[in-house]
Amino acid sequence: MTDINIHPASFRDPAGFVFTVDGTIYRQVNKFYSFRYDSLQHGGLYDQLTEQRLMVPYTEASMDLAQSSDAYRILLPQQIRTMSYACEWCPEQLKDAALLTLHIQQLAMDHGMTLKDATPSNIQFDNGRPIFIDTLSFDLYDQTKPWIAYRQFCECFLFPLYLHRYAKTGTDKISTAWPDGIPANLTARLLPLRSRWNAGAWLHVFLQNKVGSRKSVTAEPKLRFSKTKLSRLIEHLQSIISHPASPAEASAKAGPYPSAWSNYYRETILGPAYLEAKLTLFRQYLQDIEYSNALDLGCNEGLFSKILAETGIPVIAVDSDWPCIDKLYFDHPANILPLCIDLANPTPASGFRNAERAPFTDRACSDLVTALALIHHLALHKNIPLALIADYFSQLANKYLIIEFIPLSDEKASELVARKEAPTVGYDIGNFESAFCRHFRIEKKDRISGTERQLYLLKKG
Amino acid sequence: MTTLFLYIDPGSGSYLVQVIIAAILGGAFWIKKFWKKIRSFFTRGKKET
Repeated sequence: MTDINIHPASFRDPAGFVFTVDGTIYRQVNKFYSFRYDSLQHGGLYDQLTEQRLMVPYTEASMDLAQSSDAYRILLPQQIRTMSYACEWCPEQLKDAALLTLHIQQLAMDHGMTLKDATPSNIQFDNGRPIFIDTLSFDLYDQTKPWIAYRQFCECFLFPLYLHRYAKTGTDKISTAWPDGIPANLTARLLPLRSRWNAGAWLHVFLQNKVGSRKSVTAEPKLRFSKTKLSRLIEHLQSIISHPASPAEASAKAGPYPSAWSNYYRETILGPAYLEAKLTLFRQYLQDIEYSNALDLGCNEGLFSKILAETGIPVIAVDSDWPCIDKLYFDHPANILPLCIDLANPTPASGFRNAERAPFTDRACSDLVTALALIHHLALHKNIPLALIADYFSQLANKYLIIEFIPLSDEKASELVARKEAPTVGYDIGNFESAFCRHFRIEKKDRISGTERQLYLLKKG
Repeated sequence: MTTLFLYIDPGSGSYLVQVIIAAILGGAFWIKKFWKKIRSFFTRGKKET
């Protein structure tokens, strides 16, 4: 029996909606939007956007799939393998998504169209690059009017990037707290005083806040605008987003912003011999198993994610540290999707009815899960019992788990408990094995030479 | 031309702020252009001497 579901996040736009048929995503275009759809399709914009891989291509599907009587077209878009949200992106990903939105707005204007909304939910990452997915975001362009989506663009893209530029907070937490964008009045209060000397911040944050907070503003007055003015505004947004604010930031750009975890493998006390031994074992394990996708938990800068990606399979690489994800996003192969995820608090189900954005756990399940030099952080730093970690990893892994156990005697593990007064109960290799063997079978087990650390290849079932 | 009904709210003062920013950017553009002309007038003069 065919399983048809309207996407739980697709209800705001009267132009149409997204639905799935046996897991395949389709989009219904309503008659209401027909003229705009035809302009996009036949005015040359669709061809230009898809040829440049800026927007997902689609084909027109059978009208038998229409979900209501006001359907005009049913579209079958190219499917995106793993959906991700702005609350999981590193700053560089949000920046690229912002620049893509502006570039598409420019191209749309050249074709007599405009973006009627500018939100990160219009964008996904595919083959390592952001790509526009919302076919129904295009409206006809009235050159006498400013950009209707300007405020939304600022709140969803520009303001989180400004806060990150000055406070180095990452943008994922800001987008988590304000999924519909952080307001100008709050951004203005959070930005430091020195940001007022930045022309871009002054114009788009402080001036916008000042103008927007005027009590007398109830309806927009009739204001004259032109295409040249809007082009200039878009170009200005592009320049402030793509260029670093100061020479210091420019030099930081050459190498991403350092964190406690960047350069982990180069600078760790365990050194190159440990890494070499672990790499050798890891490659040996991979030779003996079959998997068609992988999830690297606690990926750091993605050394092992890149090995997983060598065969061309899709890899999701996650870490809670945004500078590591920034670094991985800079130089990763196309088949890696790097995301900022804190495994002790992964992305929850959110939005209206808790259904608009799916939880990380539902989107990340993979044939092979790897968790290297991670378990001691979850068990000793976050106080998560081994049994619960094993249970969660078994939810994520369809077939295999490669996991490294780091005993309390290890210097890195003992650092984590050095200031804890309560004894660390139950964190030993015996309890580790019994916890994981409730869900997995040990296929291989090796001590990483020169250390007390153990690497395991576990098979589910 | 019709506009889509109530899909997104452009925001209080959003149009006005764009008009002001566009005017400032336009002003900066003309000043820059004018300044370049003056500079090229003098540098050209220098080369000729």
